[in-house]
Amino acid sequence: MIGTKSFEAIVNGEQVKLNIPQNLRLIDVLRNYLGLTGTKEGCGEGECGACTVLVDGEPYNSCLLFALQVQNKNILTIEGLASYNNLHPLQESFLEHGAVQCGYCTPGMLLVAKALLDKNPNPTREEIKVAISGNLCRCTGYSKIVDAISAVAEKGVKR
Amino acid sequence: MKKRGIGIGCTFYGTGYGNGFPDISTAFVEIHDDGSVLILTGAVDCGQGSTTVLTQIAAEELGIPTDMVTITCADTGCTPDSGTTAATRQTYTTGNAIRLACQKAKKTLLEWAAKELGTNTIEGLVIAEGKIMVKGHPQKSITFKEACAKARFAGNRLIGEASFTTHATQVNMEDGQGAPYWPYAFGTQIAEVEVDTETGKVEVLRIVAAQDVGKAINPQSVEGQIEGGVAQGLGWSLLEEVKLSSGNITNPAFSSYLIPTVLDMPEIETYIIESHEPTGPYGAKGVGEPAMLSAAPAILNAIHDAIGVRINDLPATPEKILEALQEKK
Repeated sequence: MIGTKSFEAIVNGEQVKLNIPQNLRLIDVLRNYLGLTGTKEGCGEGECGACTVLVDGEPYNSCLLFALQVQNKNILTIEGLASYNNLHPLQESFLEHGAVQCGYCTPGMLLVAKALLDKNPNPTREEIKVAISGNLCRCTGYSKIVDAISAVAEKGVKR
Repeated sequence: MKKRGIGIGCTFYGTGYGNGFPDISTAFVEIHDDGSVLILTGAVDCGQGSTTVLTQIAAEELGIPTDMVTITCADTGCTPDSGTTAATRQTYTTGNAIRLACQKAKKTLLEWAAKELGTNTIEGLVIAEGKIMVKGHPQKSITFKEACAKARFAGNRLIGEASFTTHATQVNMEDGQGAPYWPYAFGTQIAEVEVDTETGKVEVLRIVAAQDVGKAINPQSVEGQIEGGVAQGLGWSLLEEVKLSSGNITNPAFSSYLIPTVLDMPEIETYIIESHEPTGPYGAKGVGEPAMLSAAPAILNAIHDAIGVRINDLPATPEKILEALQEKK
């Protein structure tokens, strides 16, 4: 029997304190304990990037992390990207450019793009492609996703 | 040595189930007191955008803005069967069913409006700018909303239901006669590739894709379908192979069954070709599957142009290319 342990972190700006089984993955805590189902499980083995979340601003596959590995860290999921009233400029841009089809890769794509733009506000098209290369999309052929991220970078919107 | 080549692929594709199989969609429509419209249809949108396109078709047929249309798709509790989202058929087949259902609801409304506005038939009326107007006398009008409320209050019910059957006949196996599919979609893609003759790796540098879609009801999503089709076609040509052993798939993971990442994709130049399809809703036909077909012949022809070998077995992996180069020597 796997024991439980206390887990504390800041998730989307809110302090979270839970008792969880020690072997839970971060994605399980997000989806099943906190109800944050915007984080999608694609392959569950770190190949597709659908479950990407930001841990202290860096993108991670939440299917490959034990929740206890991010103890006391700052976690951002797709639910925390928009402010209460307004979508994030990246979300607006994805809508405007038609960068969403089935939507399964979208949360991961958006968070990877946010992490990139936070570090490098004016990336080249090539730098954008490298940044999202760990995130698979089967629908779009990626063109409109790269276009959408480029457009935000060009506008230089405050993020 | 790295060698470059250019190839072209031209394809046609029969949309719909085909070969006489019943290919039918159904839609229900109701116009409410406030002029808003509810559409019920069984078409599943799995991200390709059919819900958007079907909403646009309803709005166009009724002469109202899209934000007045609510559509419920694929809820077995309330929507009629519209077949599967397969065979590149939803825009065409369900689009036609919605158009016909809207025409019925509209006819009831206009018949009431013809009496109200004093025209002999509904042919003299037009719906535009939120109003029902007498053609040539736009001052003689009633707002769409008011007309809907009054027509309903007078006891009319502004509803319509319609089914549309795609016309296709079974092929006669004796003489090959028949019309197995309708309509056909046509596409051409041109690929530029670079082949590394030492490693056998193929890099696709550029794809130009032109697709005949009849009428692009939503050009942005048509582009998205073409770009996605190119990516799947590229994966099919160079990467993707389901490997079987005694009926089991031996590569059931993204680490062993590779699909294109953004870094495998070239820049794609898309061209939407609009050749009116007379049987389609506003001239439209499907785009989903046909958009992926031309990439493979284009890429394989480009490989031939670059290094002079024919690869006839997909995917064109580095191993197959090196083997073909060896045989050529």
